[in-house]
Amino acid sequence: MPSAGSGRRAALAPALLVLPGVLWLAAFFVLPLLTLARTSVAAPWWDGYARAFTGYGTIFARSFGYAALATVAALLLAYPLAYVLAFRAGRWRPLLLGLVILPFFTTFLVRTFAWKTILNDGGLVVRVLQALHLLPPDGRLLDTAWAVIGGLTYNFLPFMILPIYTSLEKIDRRLVEAAQDLFSSPVRAFRLVVLPLSLPGVLAGSLLTFIPAAGDFVNAELLGGPNQRMIGSVIQAQFLQARDYPLAAALSFGLMAVITVGVVAAARLLREEQLA
Amino acid sequence: MVRISNWPLYIDDRTIPEFQQATGITVQYHEDINDNNEFFAKIAEPLRRGQSIDRDVIVLTDWVAGRMIRLGYATPLDVAAFPNRVNLAPLAQDADFDPGRRFTVPWLFGMVGLGYNPRVTGREITSVGDLFDPAFKGRVTMVTEMRDTLGLVMLGEGRDPMKCTVDDIRAAAARVKQARESGQVRAFTGNDYTEDLANGNIAIAIAWSGDIQGLHADNPDLRWVAPREGAMLFSDNMLIPKTSDRVALAMRWIDWCYAPAHSAQIVSRAGYISAVQGAIPALERIAPALARSPLVNPPPAVLSQLRNFRALSDAEDSEFTRIFLDAIGG
Repeated sequence: MPSAGSGRRAALAPALLVLPGVLWLAAFFVLPLLTLARTSVAAPWWDGYARAFTGYGTIFARSFGYAALATVAALLLAYPLAYVLAFRAGRWRPLLLGLVILPFFTTFLVRTFAWKTILNDGGLVVRVLQALHLLPPDGRLLDTAWAVIGGLTYNFLPFMILPIYTSLEKIDRRLVEAAQDLFSSPVRAFRLVVLPLSLPGVLAGSLLTFIPAAGDFVNAELLGGPNQRMIGSVIQAQFLQARDYPLAAALSFGLMAVITVGVVAAARLLREEQLA
Repeated sequence: MVRISNWPLYIDDRTIPEFQQATGITVQYHEDINDNNEFFAKIAEPLRRGQSIDRDVIVLTDWVAGRMIRLGYATPLDVAAFPNRVNLAPLAQDADFDPGRRFTVPWLFGMVGLGYNPRVTGREITSVGDLFDPAFKGRVTMVTEMRDTLGLVMLGEGRDPMKCTVDDIRAAAARVKQARESGQVRAFTGNDYTEDLANGNIAIAIAWSGDIQGLHADNPDLRWVAPREGAMLFSDNMLIPKTSDRVALAMRWIDWCYAPAHSAQIVSRAGYISAVQGAIPALERIAPALARSPLVNPPPAVLSQLRNFRALSDAEDSEFTRIFLDAIGG
């Protein structure tokens, strides 16, 4: 029965296709995660979690606050840029897209170090802001919350631009033309047609920015001071300096739990938005 | 081939080629130790399982070297293969973390004091208390090494780091925490405070003597001072990990570094204090100005004021570290 045979093969094909990815994730994601889970409940099992949830409220709040502000800032910068890329860039589009990706040619760490130089107390940026009285004469940018949020925004901006661009670019132009044919003003056409259709890109970009930003420690370490430390730095210090593995592991799971809840809520929100 | 791990900028560029030429032993030299805790975290697990870490000599600060010895991760030095051991300076003869120096000898000594630029501070700095002077608010850094920061703060309060109790630690940490929360302390750093000190972002730093010595060439204004309440002394020590299968070669290297002329060469670049008797006269021949620097050749008055942090048990170490991490913000 050749038809049944090919049917079985056809059914097997997707399984075979996902197998390498699944095995990879099992070995390098699930196994380490299970080890981390075991570490977090080293005797007595609740101790790490109890300490993680009682002593680090401020740091969690600060991490999510900085990540949220960076996400909003990145969104405000990225959306107009992605819009121009998708609808107005014309023959400049490949070049502009290249420029968006260009920062990835040097590492994250080197670029953040460069920001340290740019925001230096005696540097041009600080002196200009002081001359404009936006900063007090003895004010500074480095080692402040502004520098950390700015660094996060900068570092994750491409992750916001690209998904929004992709979703904008896929929009059928005839829908916009149809709106205009029905006497929609450009603003109204944008609000009723373009914006809703680009929401999946906005959500994807926001998640790709918010999640790594909340767990990031490079920006807080390099651009922030001791009162700007984020949960990533604390986990790193607890693992490597205090060697308090249960606490560090519990903090990691706390971070993951909060992010998971946030992601599920955001996804649900978007679905309702689209059904409405 | 002998494989060595050391801290960055801790050796000149002649010692290794000369050793290779004289002994025929190839050296693989890694500048891969940037932080005691991080390096220890990297090597502890393989050493516990008895696996090689691909290193034959590593250089660790006194207290981690002590932890390595307690855990049985260090091989005793072979005195018979170490004729230059007679050159061990009096300061280096003994150590509370390694009684009789059976497992370790210092690579170099260093002092923890205050680094500053008088043009930025507008005055000379003489006291640990200057770290807490409101005139320097937001322009002070301290280091993330618990012993160095709390040790110096304790000295400033008249407490002795050689005998400190958990209450002394709590008091010093509370002072640091208060200074952090009020914005007095701008950052807790590793070696990276040097950049901020050189460009004037910060006015006073808890500073390692050799760092300031190293900055002198480009920043002649910078000064390092042992505060009048005393300064901390630390040693970075060579030891052979227990899983090294090249102990004889490792001993050749250690012995080579203990010849006064070789130690002088190392100091000429590193700018720290040699543990080798006769290194200073040898240094006078190759770098006379440096040989007179109090940072490399501290006068007896400074030497007598230097204090060690006492050796801690593992339980104390984790308790003190926890208190300190809370003080510095995480």
